[in-house]
Amino acid sequence: MKFFDRIFHGSNDIFSVATKAVDAAIAEHGEDATMAMPDTAYNMSCQLAYKGQKVMKLKDLKTALANINEMNTREQRTAAIFKAGIGTAMAGEIIEACKYVNTATPYEGTKYHGHFSDAEVRELGVPLVTNDIPGFVVIIDPAPSEKEAADLIRGYQERGIFVFLVGDIIDQAEAMGIEMGFPVRVVAVGPEIWAVSHVVSFCVRAAMIFGAIEGGDWDGFMEYTFVRLHAFVNAFAPVNDRTLAFGAGAVAMGFPVITNDMNYIRPIPKTILLQPNTKDFIETSLEARDIHIKITKIDIPVAYSTAFEGEIIRRPDMQIEIDGSRKDCFELVEIKDVKEIEDHSIQLFGPDIDEITPGSKMEAAFIVEVGGKNVSPDFASVFERKIHAYLNCASGVMHTGQRDMIRIRISKDDFDNGFRLKHLGEILYAKIKGDHDAIIEKCQVKIYTDPAKCKELRAYANDVFNQRDERLGSLTDETVENFYTCILCQSFSPSHVCIVTPERLGLCGAVSWLDAKASNELDPNGACQIVPHQKCIDERIGAYEDVNEAVKKYSNGALEQVSLYSILEDPMTSCGCFECICGIEPMTSGFVITTRDHVGMTPLGMTFSEMASMTGGGVQTPGYMGHGKHFIASKKFLKAEGGIARVVWMPAALKEQLAEKINATAKDLYGIDNYVDMIPDENDMQDPGDPAELYEILAAKGHPVLGMEPLI
Amino acid sequence: MSWDVLIPNEEMEAATSRLLETAALVGADSYQARNAAQGTHCKIGEQGLCCRICSMGPCRITPKSPRGVCGCDADGVVGRNYLRFTAGGSATHSDHGRSIAMTLYRSSANGNYNIKDPEKLKRIADEWDIETEDRDIYDIAHEVALRGLEEFGKPFGRLRFLKRAPEARQKIWRDNKLSPRAIDREVSLSLHMTHMGCSSMPEALVHQSLRAGLADGWGGSMIGTEFSDVLFGTPKPVDTTANLGVMEKDMVNIVVHGHDPSLSEMVVYYANDPEMIALAKKNGASGINVCGVCCTSNEVAMRHGIPMAGNFLQQENVVLTGACEAIVVDVQCIFPALGPLSKCFHTKFITTSNVARMPDSDFIEFKESTAAENAKQIVELAVENFKNRKPELIHIPNLVSKATVGYSVEAIYDTLDTVANSHIDEFQTMIPLIDCIRSGVIRGAVAMVGCNNPKVRPDYAHIELMKKLLANDILVIVSGCSAQAAAKAGLMDKEAGKYCGEGLKRVCRLANIPPVLHMGSCVDISRMMILASDIAKDWRIEISDIPLVGCAPEWMSEKAVSIGNYVVATGIDTFLGIDPYTDGSKGIVGLLQGDIEKWVGAKFYVEKDIEKLGDKMIERIEEKRAKIMI
Repeated sequence: MKFFDRIFHGSNDIFSVATKAVDAAIAEHGEDATMAMPDTAYNMSCQLAYKGQKVMKLKDLKTALANINEMNTREQRTAAIFKAGIGTAMAGEIIEACKYVNTATPYEGTKYHGHFSDAEVRELGVPLVTNDIPGFVVIIDPAPSEKEAADLIRGYQERGIFVFLVGDIIDQAEAMGIEMGFPVRVVAVGPEIWAVSHVVSFCVRAAMIFGAIEGGDWDGFMEYTFVRLHAFVNAFAPVNDRTLAFGAGAVAMGFPVITNDMNYIRPIPKTILLQPNTKDFIETSLEARDIHIKITKIDIPVAYSTAFEGEIIRRPDMQIEIDGSRKDCFELVEIKDVKEIEDHSIQLFGPDIDEITPGSKMEAAFIVEVGGKNVSPDFASVFERKIHAYLNCASGVMHTGQRDMIRIRISKDDFDNGFRLKHLGEILYAKIKGDHDAIIEKCQVKIYTDPAKCKELRAYANDVFNQRDERLGSLTDETVENFYTCILCQSFSPSHVCIVTPERLGLCGAVSWLDAKASNELDPNGACQIVPHQKCIDERIGAYEDVNEAVKKYSNGALEQVSLYSILEDPMTSCGCFECICGIEPMTSGFVITTRDHVGMTPLGMTFSEMASMTGGGVQTPGYMGHGKHFIASKKFLKAEGGIARVVWMPAALKEQLAEKINATAKDLYGIDNYVDMIPDENDMQDPGDPAELYEILAAKGHPVLGMEPLI
Repeated sequence: MSWDVLIPNEEMEAATSRLLETAALVGADSYQARNAAQGTHCKIGEQGLCCRICSMGPCRITPKSPRGVCGCDADGVVGRNYLRFTAGGSATHSDHGRSIAMTLYRSSANGNYNIKDPEKLKRIADEWDIETEDRDIYDIAHEVALRGLEEFGKPFGRLRFLKRAPEARQKIWRDNKLSPRAIDREVSLSLHMTHMGCSSMPEALVHQSLRAGLADGWGGSMIGTEFSDVLFGTPKPVDTTANLGVMEKDMVNIVVHGHDPSLSEMVVYYANDPEMIALAKKNGASGINVCGVCCTSNEVAMRHGIPMAGNFLQQENVVLTGACEAIVVDVQCIFPALGPLSKCFHTKFITTSNVARMPDSDFIEFKESTAAENAKQIVELAVENFKNRKPELIHIPNLVSKATVGYSVEAIYDTLDTVANSHIDEFQTMIPLIDCIRSGVIRGAVAMVGCNNPKVRPDYAHIELMKKLLANDILVIVSGCSAQAAAKAGLMDKEAGKYCGEGLKRVCRLANIPPVLHMGSCVDISRMMILASDIAKDWRIEISDIPLVGCAPEWMSEKAVSIGNYVVATGIDTFLGIDPYTDGSKGIVGLLQGDIEKWVGAKFYVEKDIEKLGDKMIERIEEKRAKIMI
């Protein structure tokens, strides 16, 4: 059989399975049964993306199948294998979707993940643009041995590559004790080949969310996935026609397929690669997809990768815990004169882990001293905030919190491998200096574990933190000379530009004004560019000529103007990786805010995913805006519309997290005490999606919005 | 499918019409007018049935007079004319090669011509068993050049470069007695065989046509190409611009035209001379702009990124812009019409070679020994001429395309390395290209070559065929005036990849190449022979099994016929859009378009309907794929 014919044959085979699945689902549930994938505003996203077809009911899958059948033209042309390949993915999506009729959790109780939520797609936005996740791999079918499977998965994990597993390799991974789950970036997608369609769905949603590609724009999706998603496939021998058909879909999307099946597969440069040695899969694959990984070599006895950032160390597995809630602990970065610093000095004052009873809590204070000609004192907190991510990336180390409220767990495995406190110092030295070597010349780390010394130093650290807070409080949009752009996300969302100001951090929550300033000094031609704000057009909504010029320039002409403080007039665009989204609630003339972490309904009758789909991809949608959590407590939030008094609903968890700051802002702006208590959340409402009930609750709480002018 | 970023034929024709208005204004004629004045071409001549080889004729072979005075029939007359046509082409290309070899022989460290690619020189020396170790590079160069010059007249042995072909092809040549001996000998023999009273047997005449062609492609042309690379550098991808809009209104425009890079290289050098630029400014110009026409343009474009003003049928247009200070020509394909035409403008028509002497021109004889001063004199003449422009006559059509040119075989290897995987593949092989073809992502390749000809709507056949082939995932490699047609239209812009079928489009993106690859001038079709040979070797199949065909849809010169013969004799089917004056003989047509396939595994196809010509090529490529079961 000709190579192309194998693909057409495999595609047809999957189509037949899909047809049977749909017939069976209709026989069981009736053709009018609702066909909705959970937690997504892009239902049946492959059909939506490639055909522009909105699937609502089971019977719509009949139309979808007819579309797919037409895509298998069997012509001896590459266009035909691309079409058949994408058709295969669409058919795969239908087979998987039939499992979701009448249940949102068909894989519950299994080791399989199945469908990805929109929140999961969005969560990867930032690590993808920062290159913390340099790429994705989909590994299909079992490796020749369990060890080879484990080596491959761990190898990818160590390089930060996000791993999707499909088929029996999942059993191999399980047998080898590999932890799987979305947070550790190794996901067991599903047992059958069509589970691949969940990954395809993930990719096309990334294109819709971050790239604003519209459903039905075939070329748009082809271009987006080819250029922007650094994915690839590893398929183990024997690769049958079905897998090959899915492989054609991957190739169409621009994702190379690397296999050890040396029989009957035609190699194509950078596209289909035959690699007989599975130990060389990783390097072969990365080269094929042009993924270059910068490896920071850190002298520690455990693996270090962004893949371990989400790893959780449970109590029974921990050797010790550094706990700021019970003991005197803190982490502090200070800027010093280079003369006072001995580069790469890591000193421990007090007992090391071996002297502490296993499983107990201990004191620890970390002081990192850095120096360099151009290091501004303001950057100390910028470096300090990164400690969280830096320490978490060590396998077997878990870090939460900041300042004097840190918690660090070190696992027994790490301890057994020789991991000691000085290794935390090694990590801090290597990363803080390595990531900022354009400005940091010297760096040293001091670790204190003596209880009395920690107590004494903690008081000193708190003085430093208080001074910083005062300085930060004095940094307002009016007092600084320049704002900054952040276009880090343009690798995914090509027309989005964030304008970062002291009182408005980047919408992903990851870039404050100080971060942007530091980033600009580290790389003057990088993502953060200086934006002056001298030429004010309208102070009320925060419109500036110079800001508009910058936005126009850096969005490559896609955007003409933005306001910094309004949601109704030229609101700032979103890339798609925003922490929160707010949307206008017409009955109360207020705004509802929800977060990526909140999966429930909001009074707008929409979930986070649905609200988020209203904006994103660099598109302006008046009335809806993505933003960072900490923007909410800013006096500039909703300033044009009347400020924070317009907030009529927030998830309880978000309220709790921001209560102190929101209350302070409301007190300053309106003289209201305990304003957060006036904002309803999901716990106040019988039906979280009912705006009428919301109105009643607001009235009962005496919420200030009811006394404000209507917005529309 | 929309071709919006490309310049359509209609726009180029409109630009020509506008320039012809200027011609009318100044009383100049044009090839269009002269072509019309010629009326219907002589039918007997067109069919190849007119014999004027001896003074008993001219004899015309017709149904009423089926034999000439001597008794020669249609097959003999057509066959002899065909062989003489081939010999003319073979002689021309080969004499070009000889001239380059002479330049190489006279190269020196401090002289006018230096060695730009010593590595390539050493490769050729190794190939020819010439000692390279511990030797001065110029010693090597002179010995290589001498050995090359001997190829033209050596009394014994076959051409050295034939060994570059795969063993199977060499065997075909040996078995069929097609391996050429000395280049000049094959040309002389052709003339001898066609003398009154010699050969009239179709098989013998066609056989010698193939051998005389091979003496060109694997002899004279290949020497020309290889030694040019040694002297002037082996081309690698370079960005340039194309079409008449490359002429600059405010600059001194020097148009180089012809085929031999020895002259144009020097002109390019002196046009960049600060002294000359200062002189240009003194004369009111903002600088000096060298641009090219015809194959000289291909030579300097692929080595220096010099803009390509146009191909064969645009040579008058560059003068008609009124902004051409000098049109400097060397040899071949130069209209004698340029003399009288230049007199209607301020343009200097500068001839430089004793091979191409023309009335109404300034003759500055260009010699290797005085090349620098000759070139300087030419540039100076052009610069001083800037002030003589007639502003009212100036009109430069606003047509410019971007192009990436310079895909020598070496550059193709380097490009293929960029898509090879260091963990799997060997570098410097044709395997990545072969894998694309074998998998079906690319269906095959077409080598499009040749001239323009008023018998075909100029450039239309080149461009339309290319578009059709690209849409069918067929890679197009080009040289000569076909290359310029592609560049002018925008098909050598890397952006043009989007007009390909999905397979070729993907290949172009991954390899970062335009879909139409510029391989050089007409002597550089020898590069295509090396490419085909290297593909066959790495694929381990015969050249005639590769899904590859040649095509010359608008050819006109004797050189083109010679090329057709060696391309076919190398095992590559060749599709012609114009009949090579053979229509009058069933015997000759039967051989060229039929039976020679039994000798060399390939043959000619002649099809004047461009649409059908394209379909036939695609069909043939698919047939070849089926034959090797891919």
